[in-house]
Amino acid sequence: MIYYIGAFGLVFIGLYIILTKRNLIKVIIGLNILDTGVNLFLISVGYVREGTAPIFSRGSGQVLMVDPVPQALVLTSIVIGVAVLALALSLAIMLHKHYGTLNLQKVKEQKW
Amino acid sequence: MEILPLMAFGGAIITYLLGKISHRLRDGFAVSVSWLLVVLVAFFYGTQVCTTYYSGFFGLPFILRMNSLSWLFAIMIAMLGALSITFSLSYMKGREKTNFYYLMMLLVNASMLGVVLSGDLVSFYIFWEIMSWTTFLLISYNRGPAIAAGMKYIVMSIIGSISMLIGIFSLYASYGTFDMSGVGAGIASASSGYILFILILFSITFGIKNAIMPLHTWLPDAHSEAPTPFSAVLSGILIKMGTYGLLLFMYVIVGSKLLFSLGSGILSFQYILCIIASITIVIPTFIAVLQTDAKRVLAWSSIGQVGYIILGIAFGTSLSFAGGMFHFFNHALFKALLFFTVGAVAYQTKSRDLNSLGGLAKRMPVTFIASLIGIFALIGIPLTNGFVSKWLIYKSLILEGSPFLAFAALIGTWGTILYSYKLIHNMFLGQLPEKYKNVKKAPLSMQIPMVILSGGILLFGILPGIPLKVINGIGTSLGFESLSVTMGGYTSETGALNIINILAVMVVAGVLVWLFFRAGGKSKRVAQVSSYGAGASVPTDKYHYTAEFYDPFSRMIKPYFRDVIDDFYNWIAKGARETFDHVRHLYTGDVGHYAIYIVLFLAFLILVSLVWFL
Amino acid sequence: MVSPVLLIAVPLGLAFAVPLLRLISRRIPKYIPPVAMLFNLVLSVSLMSSTLKEATVVSIGGWDPPFCINLVVDSLSILFSVLIALVGFLVSIYALDYIEMGATENTEKYHMLYLLLLVGATGVVLTGDIFNLFVFFEILCISSYALVAYLGDKAGVESGIKYLIQGAIGSSLILIAIGILYGMFGSLNIADIASNINSIGSIALFIPLALLVTGFGIEGALFPLNGWLPDAHSSAPSSVSAILSGIAIGVGIYAVARVIFTLFGVSSIFPFLAILGVLTLLVGEASAFKQNNLKRMLAYSSIGQIGLIVFGLGIATYHGISGGLFQVVSHALGKSLLFMAAGYMIYRTGSMDISALKGIGERMPLTSIAFTIGAFSLVGLPPFVGFASKFLIIQSALLKQDVLFFVLAVLVLLATVIEVAYFLRVCQIIHFKEGNNQKKEDAPLVALIPMFILVSLIIIIGIYPNLVFDFLNSAASGLLDKLAYIEGVL
Repeated sequence: MIYYIGAFGLVFIGLYIILTKRNLIKVIIGLNILDTGVNLFLISVGYVREGTAPIFSRGSGQVLMVDPVPQALVLTSIVIGVAVLALALSLAIMLHKHYGTLNLQKVKEQKW
Repeated sequence: MEILPLMAFGGAIITYLLGKISHRLRDGFAVSVSWLLVVLVAFFYGTQVCTTYYSGFFGLPFILRMNSLSWLFAIMIAMLGALSITFSLSYMKGREKTNFYYLMMLLVNASMLGVVLSGDLVSFYIFWEIMSWTTFLLISYNRGPAIAAGMKYIVMSIIGSISMLIGIFSLYASYGTFDMSGVGAGIASASSGYILFILILFSITFGIKNAIMPLHTWLPDAHSEAPTPFSAVLSGILIKMGTYGLLLFMYVIVGSKLLFSLGSGILSFQYILCIIASITIVIPTFIAVLQTDAKRVLAWSSIGQVGYIILGIAFGTSLSFAGGMFHFFNHALFKALLFFTVGAVAYQTKSRDLNSLGGLAKRMPVTFIASLIGIFALIGIPLTNGFVSKWLIYKSLILEGSPFLAFAALIGTWGTILYSYKLIHNMFLGQLPEKYKNVKKAPLSMQIPMVILSGGILLFGILPGIPLKVINGIGTSLGFESLSVTMGGYTSETGALNIINILAVMVVAGVLVWLFFRAGGKSKRVAQVSSYGAGASVPTDKYHYTAEFYDPFSRMIKPYFRDVIDDFYNWIAKGARETFDHVRHLYTGDVGHYAIYIVLFLAFLILVSLVWFL
Repeated sequence: MVSPVLLIAVPLGLAFAVPLLRLISRRIPKYIPPVAMLFNLVLSVSLMSSTLKEATVVSIGGWDPPFCINLVVDSLSILFSVLIALVGFLVSIYALDYIEMGATENTEKYHMLYLLLLVGATGVVLTGDIFNLFVFFEILCISSYALVAYLGDKAGVESGIKYLIQGAIGSSLILIAIGILYGMFGSLNIADIASNINSIGSIALFIPLALLVTGFGIEGALFPLNGWLPDAHSSAPSSVSAILSGIAIGVGIYAVARVIFTLFGVSSIFPFLAILGVLTLLVGEASAFKQNNLKRMLAYSSIGQIGLIVFGLGIATYHGISGGLFQVVSHALGKSLLFMAAGYMIYRTGSMDISALKGIGERMPLTSIAFTIGAFSLVGLPPFVGFASKFLIIQSALLKQDVLFFVLAVLVLLATVIEVAYFLRVCQIIHFKEGNNQKKEDAPLVALIPMFILVSLIIIIGIYPNLVFDFLNSAASGLLDKLAYIEGVL
């Protein structure tokens, strides 16, 4: 249960950062925190009390294991998160090159 | 019968392609295709055909239908189309984008044919829409102020189409069919509230196209800014498509018995339509008197004359119906003729301003005579067809005891006389200004349509029995009682109209006048400028009293006859523009705002679903 | 019969081969997307007839559903697949010349990203597993973030980063929803979840539904989630705008539809969907009205069309959903055509302002005719395909004999008036305003051919919609008949 609270806490922190911060780097960090929260949530879904790592090894037999599917999902999700992060950071560099600032309030040429 | 729309549309496309090869080839082809259509339509006289020609549109059957009503409209469409294309041969010389022009003219023709020949509501709508957008493109052809005119037209036309689409679908939802006869059978058993609802929806559409007040504001701009041969088609037949639609819905689908039972006395649908029609006769006629652009006079005049047509049709007796239909026929003839004459004058003098033209009667005699005949028809002088149709309308109004409507019709004629005379005086009579001294006659390809139309006006004026017979056939097929039509007019218990007698009387009177004229002394010819100036010299060019014609009268009525409805629509359009400008400010450009939108939407969804299920 | 897996595998392989092939010759990369998409087109069309009878299910890895990742190829998927392949193919031919213009460096990155976008889109529509949907959806989104900012100019980068932020929020929301669904049902297979969905009380269901609709709706451009769209579609290079407007948002709507209809199947949400659609439509059309920037106007018009599609889907009868799907087709055809034409028009006049388009009808006659026909089709004038699709939607709305839908249908038609006003105004400016009388130079042949293929499709399908109507009907039943879908898979 504590994991769910932690996960949703991270999600809300991430969302809060994206909604209110003006610096682009902070927003990207917020995005990352959001991703992390979601990953944590996914893994917690698969948690089985008193379960061990879901690896079949010789002599493991009828041991209780945590659900491996969410772990696979999370692996994929982390990779996606890294890709998005890389793209975001490179775009941030280019944005700074064009605008000279990372303040999102000032980057408002495309509007209406 | 499928050959008619096929040839019309195919002819349009081939004309466009031929135009890429050679202009002469294309001109010749366009003219021959349009006249061929006239001949083909004439073949179908008296037939009643109904065929399903296409089922590829979601499996809905498209039906082509020819009956006497469609035939009359079709022959008018084909005739006017052919005449306009003939007129365009010289009108379009040396102008740009002529391929596009011919393509659009033929497409408008073809789609109008499709409208009157369709037997089911979907193909009616499809052809109606094609007609609308091709008209829009053609109106905008002239650039400049024509662009705003075209935009006004298409927006109002689309609003009409929306109304029609809603009506068509609601009919489909109630009766399960798009077929006109099927809908007619179904609607015979509907409640009068529902019939009224449907009729009002369709009346909006057809009223916009017909330019009945207060839906007329697109017409003056559109008709004056369009190229003249197309103005002739517009005024002559395109606005009558609205009349066709009204006829279709009032008499063919709903049926005269059901129609007359809608409401009672003053408040009936029919009577309200008559009142609207009479307002449409009076007000635009007087606005026409105030205009100084020749084509604008004709445009407002068209609105007024359409009022006569609607009045005749809506009034409900067989006499008035015949009068209204005959007036539709006549108006096409004489309005097209008048637009052609104005177009010929504009082509030769490059001006449409009535305040500066004058005295062209000697330089362009054929145009002058044609214009004179057209004016006579418009006013309704005996021996022209306009006389017969107006006579029929007056007579039926007076017979049935509607003094107000008759009064409106007669005032309309008074206004018509005023602006018609202004038109012909300012263009042809009076003094010839210096700059127009060398104006040539109109070219042959312009003269031919004018002569044909004038001949038609006189022919049908002297022998109105020919068209009246056809119209009578339409009337009886729609449920009116038959008139006994003779070659020279008609007879009935309340009196007869026999033009041949009138012709005989006028010929005798003319002979007598001529004899007296010969027997009297000769008169001396004087130059126009040799009048007494009390010592001062008479300025030759400024001695021109066509400028500010009707000035005192104009000053009297001008404050009352501003087009307030146009201002009202412009106000609505402006309000809409402001609102839309505010809407787009939602997209502020700040990504924080967008993220807030996302979160708010999510919260809203969750909240709504929680409330829903608790 | 060829396996539908190739629809995803071949373009994916070719996409990754692009940088390798560039080492061989500099000119090869730009021909690879057309080849890949042609292959997809041919394969999809050949699969069309077999999927009309029943859905094809392909299990990857040899496991049985519901334990495996499977592709479910029913007529809805094939419809989208054909559309993606067709538009992708035509736009890639257009891009043969368009991208090379003014390119200062090697352009193989564009072609690779373009192909990856199409792979993502095809994957989304073909898959039957919700996490797989998410993965392909991410491929689609990330490629589009990069493509929007491809030119590296000020506008592109700004739009790209904004698009990225909003899209990333959406992805996270989807992932949370997937987590919740997995926690509730223990399976990731759409059919499996769909068959068990009624066993949970409806209150708990709404949170994942809301999350999924919001997440997919960001890419699918629903109001108010579409703040990124006007910027992205106007700053991207025109071939990218064509693909984004035509295909990417359609795929987003596919995802929303799949979630609502097949996964959840809750019928009380349909009026809400219709209202949301009309709201999107009205906001989109109203915002497009006073635009001066041509591509921004087209972007807002896309929002409007998506609203119309969602309205059609919200009618939730066979006719209504067919209408919505038909509108996806006509929007894809029309909007890609418009963006392709606009691309060269902007290039020739050097400015994105609508007033700069004065008189371009003389300089670029064929392109202007193509633009005009695209505009007429989008507005819904016969005899073009846009009329047929709008006809179907309004007909089904009014057939419902419900006051709400009557009012909504009237609002949709009023939005048409707004569309007419701004689109036809642009057409008038193109053809009937005085230009600078420069010499005639039209778009190059490579660009004109795809435009005119689209024009002929618009006219042919517009006159003879029966060509696609049966297929649309079966696609609609694929969406509505949840049980048939489940049975087909499990």
